[in-house]
Amino acid sequence: MRRYLPIIISILVMFMAGYIVISKKNSIDKTHIKSIYNIGTFKKQHSCIKLPNFLKRLKIPQPVIIDLSQKRYKGIALYFGKNFRNVMHPKQWEQYGYFSTYSLDSLGNIYLVPMPFISIYPTTFNLQKNIYKIDSNTGKLSIFMHFDDIVPSATNPYGFTSIVYDCDDNTLWCSAIDESDYQHQKGVIYHIDIKTKRVLQHIDDIDVLSLAIVKSSKGKYLLAGMARDNSLYAYAIKDKKAQKAKKLLELPSSQEHIRKIKVEAKNRLDIQAIPFSYTLITQTAQKDRVHYSITWIEKINKWRINR
Amino acid sequence: MTKEIKISILIALIGVVGLTGYWFYPQEPTKKQDDNSHKLVKEKIILPKYDNDVYKNIPEVKSYIDDLKAMIKSGNAVLPLSSDELDTRAKRAQKLLLKDKEFLKDTKDGNKLLHNDMMRILPAIVSTLDAKSQNICQLHHCYQAEKYNFVTNTTTRAIVDTDTLKVLSVERYSNMQPDISLRLTHIAQAIALKAPEVKKELGFTPSKKDITMANVRGTMKDSPCENTTHLCVAPTFSDHQKEQALWAVIDLTQMKLAAAKWAGLGKTTTPACIGERSLQNRYIMKHFCQKNTLLEKNGWKISYRLTGSDGLEIRDISFKGVPVLTSAKIVDWHVSYQEKGSSSLDTNTTSYIEGRRVEFVRGEDDNYLFGYNDAMGCPLFSTSVVLAFNGPQVKPLHNGNGFMLTQDFRNPKWPMACNYRYENRFEFYDDGSFRVVGVNKGRGCGDHAIYRPVMRIDMALGDKENLYSYDGGWKVWEKEHSEHVVDSGNQEVGGSEQLKREYLGRYPYKIVSSLDKTNGYYIEPNHGQFGDNSRGDNATLFATKFKKSEGDRDLLTLGSCCNLKEDGVERYIRDGESIKDKHIVLWYVPRIHNDSRVGHEYCWADTVIGDDGNLHVKVWPCTVGAKFIPIKKEH
Repeated sequence: MRRYLPIIISILVMFMAGYIVISKKNSIDKTHIKSIYNIGTFKKQHSCIKLPNFLKRLKIPQPVIIDLSQKRYKGIALYFGKNFRNVMHPKQWEQYGYFSTYSLDSLGNIYLVPMPFISIYPTTFNLQKNIYKIDSNTGKLSIFMHFDDIVPSATNPYGFTSIVYDCDDNTLWCSAIDESDYQHQKGVIYHIDIKTKRVLQHIDDIDVLSLAIVKSSKGKYLLAGMARDNSLYAYAIKDKKAQKAKKLLELPSSQEHIRKIKVEAKNRLDIQAIPFSYTLITQTAQKDRVHYSITWIEKINKWRINR
Repeated sequence: MTKEIKISILIALIGVVGLTGYWFYPQEPTKKQDDNSHKLVKEKIILPKYDNDVYKNIPEVKSYIDDLKAMIKSGNAVLPLSSDELDTRAKRAQKLLLKDKEFLKDTKDGNKLLHNDMMRILPAIVSTLDAKSQNICQLHHCYQAEKYNFVTNTTTRAIVDTDTLKVLSVERYSNMQPDISLRLTHIAQAIALKAPEVKKELGFTPSKKDITMANVRGTMKDSPCENTTHLCVAPTFSDHQKEQALWAVIDLTQMKLAAAKWAGLGKTTTPACIGERSLQNRYIMKHFCQKNTLLEKNGWKISYRLTGSDGLEIRDISFKGVPVLTSAKIVDWHVSYQEKGSSSLDTNTTSYIEGRRVEFVRGEDDNYLFGYNDAMGCPLFSTSVVLAFNGPQVKPLHNGNGFMLTQDFRNPKWPMACNYRYENRFEFYDDGSFRVVGVNKGRGCGDHAIYRPVMRIDMALGDKENLYSYDGGWKVWEKEHSEHVVDSGNQEVGGSEQLKREYLGRYPYKIVSSLDKTNGYYIEPNHGQFGDNSRGDNATLFATKFKKSEGDRDLLTLGSCCNLKEDGVERYIRDGESIKDKHIVLWYVPRIHNDSRVGHEYCWADTVIGDDGNLHVKVWPCTVGAKFIPIKKEH
C-alpha cells in the first residue's frame, strides 16, 4: 500500500487544485455588469478647477450659476448678482444649439457636451459630434474637438452625453451613446488629453449618461451612471487607464437613470436621476429629477440609498 | 526513482497542464450572459386588448363604484372600512377619524369631494410613533389608521388613542401608497380572474385558489403600474413546474388590468419594480419597431410598423391581390398658436413655454404665431416627443363596413397643459376604399391653436401615374405643385353632364394609372361628412415626383411649425418637375383650429372630478383626412 502513496497523494493534490481553480474561475466576474463592488471609503476632495477668467475681467461677482436648462436661454447662460437676477448670455453662446452638461478645468475653461432638444433640425445631428469649449479668457464658444465617428440618427439622436475633467493629468473623460440601439449597447467612453487633443483610451460598449471622478482609500475611480438602466458603475483608474467596470449599485426604480453624480461628504454621494429612453423626451426639469443621497456604510460593506 | 513516483509525477504534470488549460480556456460567460439576456427578452408581456367595460360589471367592482357614488352624493369623501375588517377599538378609531377635520383636510378640491379610501386600522406600531405618542401609547391602546387619496396619490396616517378617543397625530405622505384594504384585495383578485388576457395566457379559467400574492406588502407598495400615481397591485398565478409566474398588474385607480407579464420565479426576473410603461415600451419595441407586421383582413393585405419619427406607417397594401398603396403615414404635426399684437412683438428675446423654446412668425392682421413641431414614433430609440402607447390596434369601423388600424401616441404627461395626444388611423373599407386619418386629442398649451398633420401618401398604381383635379373638367397636374383643397361638398361645379356624373359632386381629385384609366382612386376630402364630428380638413394638397430621400424612409421634422404660408412640403416642389406619367407622391396637409369654449370643445382634453370623486379625462377629438374611393367601384 505504501508503494502507491505518492500516486494517491498526487491524485488528491490534483483534485484539490482542480477544485480551487474551478471555483476561483467561476467566482471571477465575467462581464462588466455583474459584481457589486467595494471602492473603499472616500471623501469630498479639493478640486483644481476654477471659474473662468472673463468673469473677473467683466467684474461679475461670485457666486454664479451655470444654466443649461434651456428653459430661458438656448445654449448656456450665467446667472449672477443679487438673487441671481443678472444674466450673461451673449448671442454667440447660442451658435451650437443646446448643451446638456459641462465641466470646468484648472484654467477656467468650460467644456460642454451637446444635446438634441424637442425638434430635429438639419444641423442637429452634426452638432452632437462635437465637444465644445468656452475660453476662460475670451468667453468665446468654439468647437473643441470634432468626432466624425459619432453618428446620431433618427433611431438615436444622441451623441456626447457626459463630460468630466481630471485634475491629475489635465484630461477629459467623455461619453457618447450614438451607435447604440434597442438591442445593442455600443456607447463609448473617451479619455482625451486636452493639450494634444489626442484620445488616450477608448472604452467600448457601454452607454453612460453621467461621469464623475472619486478618490478613495483604494485608489482613483471613474464613476459612471448608465443610460440603459438604473445602475452606477466604477472604473478603477490605474496608470491613467480605466480598468474593467464593476457595478456599485442600482437605484430602486428601473426607470431612473443617473444624470448627475457628486461626492457630497465622507462616503456620501449625491445622485440625480431622470427618465431616459433615447428619444427626445428627456425630462430634465427639476420636477422630473429624483434626488438620492447614497451612503457607503463601511461596517457592513453596503450602500444605503435615501430618497 | 520508483515506477510509482514516476506515475505520480506524470499525474501531477497532466493535472497542472489540464488546469492551466482550463484556467485560460475562455469559459462561456458570454454564452451564459447571452442565455440570460435571451431569457429576459423572451419574457412575455401582455398588454390589455379588451375594453375596460369588461370589468365594470364584476359584482365586487360594481358594488364598490356604487358605494363611491353614494358616498360622494351624501357629502362624504372617505369610504370607510367594513366592520369585518375592524375590531372594536378600530371601529371606534374609524368613527372618530371620519369626523376629524385634520384627517379629512385633503379630501376636497374646492367644492369637489375627492375619492379617499380608509385602507387599514390596526394597533399602532412603535416605529410609527413620535416620542410623545410613544409615552401615551405605552399606557393606552393606540391605533394607527391609513387612508389613501386616489386623486392626489397621498397617504394620510393618523394615530388614535382609543382609550381617550383623541387623535394624537396626523401625517401626510404625498406620492406614497399604503397597503390596501381587504375589500380592494378582493377587487384586485376579481379583476385578475375576470381579465380575458389572463384566462387566455393561463389556458384555463382560473379561480381564487390559483392566485398567490406572495410578499403582499412589498408587492402592494411598489407594484408595477403606470407612472406610479395610480394605486396598483400584482396578483400572481404561479406555475411551479415551469418555474414561471403570470403577474397580473391591476390598476385600482382605474379598476382595470394594466398589463400582465410572464416572468421566471427567480428573484432576478421579478417584475416588481418594472413599471407598466417599461413593459409596454419593451413590447412595442420588440413587436412593432424592430419588425414589420402583416395584417390580412377582409381582402386587405397590409404590412405595418412603428417608425422613429413618422408615426405608424403602412406599407405594401393590396386589396384582393391588387396593389393599392406603397406607403402612407403622418410624418409630422405642426403645432402653432396664434396671438394678436405682432407689431409690438419683440423677436430679439427668446421665449419659452413649459421648457420648450418656441419659434415666432409674424402673420397677417397684426397676428403672430409661435409653436413647435411634434414627431411621433417608437417609445425608445427615436427622435419623437409624442410616443407610442400600447401597440397598433385593429378595430371594426362604426358602420361595420370595414376595419381600422390605429395607433395611439401621447406625451407621457398628457392631458396636462402643453402635452399632446395624437392617433394615427387607417380605415379600410370592404368596397376597397381607404382613408388616412389623423386624430388630435388635445390638449396643447391653450386655445387659438392651429394643428397641421403632414400626411404622405404614396399610391401603388404602377410607375406611371397621373393626378387630376376637377375644374369643370378633369385637368391633369403637369408639374409638381400644391393647391388649397376646395370644399367640394358645397362647390358649384361646371362641365358636361357626363363629367359632372364622373365628378359625382364630391371628388375634386383623382389619381390614376397612366396605363389603365380605371385603375385609380377618387379623392374625397373631409368636410364633416364622415360622421366623426369633424369640422373639415381645410387642407392643402401637394403632388411630388417620387424620390427616395423625400420621405420614403423616416423623415425628420419638416419645415416651420408656424409659418402658415408654408406646410414644409414646399421644399420638394421648388423645382417644379414634371409629374405627368410619373410615380407620384401625394402630401395632404389639413389645417385644424382647436376650440376650448365650453360646449364647443374641439381638439381638446380636460381633467374633471367625476361623481365617484375620482379624476376623469374628457376628450374632444378632432378628426381629419381624405378618403380614397376606387374608380372601378363608382363605375
